[in-house]
Amino acid sequence: MAKAFKYGAHGITGTLHSAERKLLRELFGDVITMLEERALVHQLPDDIDPLYALTGMRPESMDLPPVTDPALSKLLPDASADPVMAAEHRRLTEADLIAQKIGRLREAQFLMETDKIVLENQNAQRFAQALNDVRLVLAERLEIRDEQDAERVSEVLDAAEVETPEEYLALVYNLVSWVQDTLMSALMDAEY
Amino acid sequence: MPDVLPEIETAATYEKPWRLIVWNDPVNLMSYVAYVFRSYFGFTAEKAEQLMLQVHHDGFCTVRSGSREAIESDVQAMHGFGLNATMTQEA
Repeated sequence: MAKAFKYGAHGITGTLHSAERKLLRELFGDVITMLEERALVHQLPDDIDPLYALTGMRPESMDLPPVTDPALSKLLPDASADPVMAAEHRRLTEADLIAQKIGRLREAQFLMETDKIVLENQNAQRFAQALNDVRLVLAERLEIRDEQDAERVSEVLDAAEVETPEEYLALVYNLVSWVQDTLMSALMDAEY
Repeated sequence: MPDVLPEIETAATYEKPWRLIVWNDPVNLMSYVAYVFRSYFGFTAEKAEQLMLQVHHDGFCTVRSGSREAIESDVQAMHGFGLNATMTQEA
């Protein structure tokens, strides 16, 4: 079983065992795949002014298609209730947001190479962001829409009692939540 | 005639401020939201906690207001943290 993250003389430390690390590595990978698939729709046609490709900008006339997968839309939400403004914000910032998220998720995958995890504050924050992205996706798959749903899922804690794939997913969600929550306490202790 | 320059009126004078709104969701941990408010905005522990609870109880909260550019960049940062945030111009 994992050991809670805490802040001490060696920085922020925590322990995850091999099965947990393997699981988390796969989850980080799943979210990376989702984001990479979305990144494909960002590709510009070959015959466009090469200045766009160089600067990473999109022409005003080429808004991105809306995000239809609800889990992906949790990772890349609309910036405004106004669809025109939301589309503009997406066109200007989504590629950058995807790249940032993939970067943090890859770092998180690398952290899963050893049992004991030692983090400086900045890396701990980035790890927390990656864990949060995983939880957003899992929560969507578990259909957590309100506090009652969250309550229902949080009751699945005993691996021995898990019978359905949904209960297994709930167990995984609770593990990731617990890891993130202990990481937040450690980070608060470290920074303030 | 007084020897002063007339006040220059710019378009910015008339632009109503924009607001950053963070919405509640049943996923983000309270400890995480409070940390993000404290770390990103530099709020005190009390202020971060108060805003986090406001999001939790009221369903949303205006975290701050400012120029369009500033709020756009806040929204992007919040999305980076995985918080559901939107921007709106004051009526």
